[in-house]
Amino acid sequence: MSLTRRHILANTMATVACAVALLTPKRTQGADEMEDFLWRLTGRKATPSNRLRLVMPAEFPTGYTVPMSISVDSPMTEADHVKSVRVFAPKNPLVEVVQFHFVPGRSLSSVSTRVRLAAPQHVVALAEMSDGSLLMAKAWVTVATNGCL
Amino acid sequence: MVPGSVAKNEVFTVKAIIQHQMETGLRTDSAGKTIPRKIINQFVCRYGELEVFRADLHEAVSANPFLEFQLLATENGRLEFSWREDGGATYSLFHDIVVT
Repeated sequence: MSLTRRHILANTMATVACAVALLTPKRTQGADEMEDFLWRLTGRKATPSNRLRLVMPAEFPTGYTVPMSISVDSPMTEADHVKSVRVFAPKNPLVEVVQFHFVPGRSLSSVSTRVRLAAPQHVVALAEMSDGSLLMAKAWVTVATNGCL
Repeated sequence: MVPGSVAKNEVFTVKAIIQHQMETGLRTDSAGKTIPRKIINQFVCRYGELEVFRADLHEAVSANPFLEFQLLATENGRLEFSWREDGGATYSLFHDIVVT
């Protein structure tokens, strides 16, 4: 198997960053903070599921490039597949991280990338399945430095 | 990074890295002026015209965005990777894949 290295050069220089203005989810008595956050964001009920796996390091030295892997147990057929997975970082100044779209019979429901985290937090993934259900998984990540400043 | 040839119906891995600062729009320069947001906001992979994978990126994706995903080798054809920057500029790159 020959491998072709692809280096995609798009643009310019400069460093990274964001700023601070933490979004603080409103706490409802007795309600789980994350469920509350997701409800306000999507208006839908997400079910915690171990079919969806969000793998991130529990501790990472820098918030600039935290590795993240997502996979969903799914046959990826027309009848039963993952439509998309959205990722949120509730303690980032901008909570939306990324959304991935998969295609039945063509892509597998797994993906890896690197993200910025502003503070130690639970990162959450939401998988929208072809039957309309919404699966949820979260991962706690402690970052030593703020990846958004 | 894409393999040159794959057996039919096998899964193959695509790794892509785009060199880009992913300026979030949240930083200020030394004069206190906001540096405008400029990120890659979308990445699409097509396999013989058909969209097979897409990522909508937000500010929290790291600089020099990296993506690794898996596709099924269905037929000989062209993989097209295209990505869109804030402001509307689009870029693309092609890779022909041989399915045996």
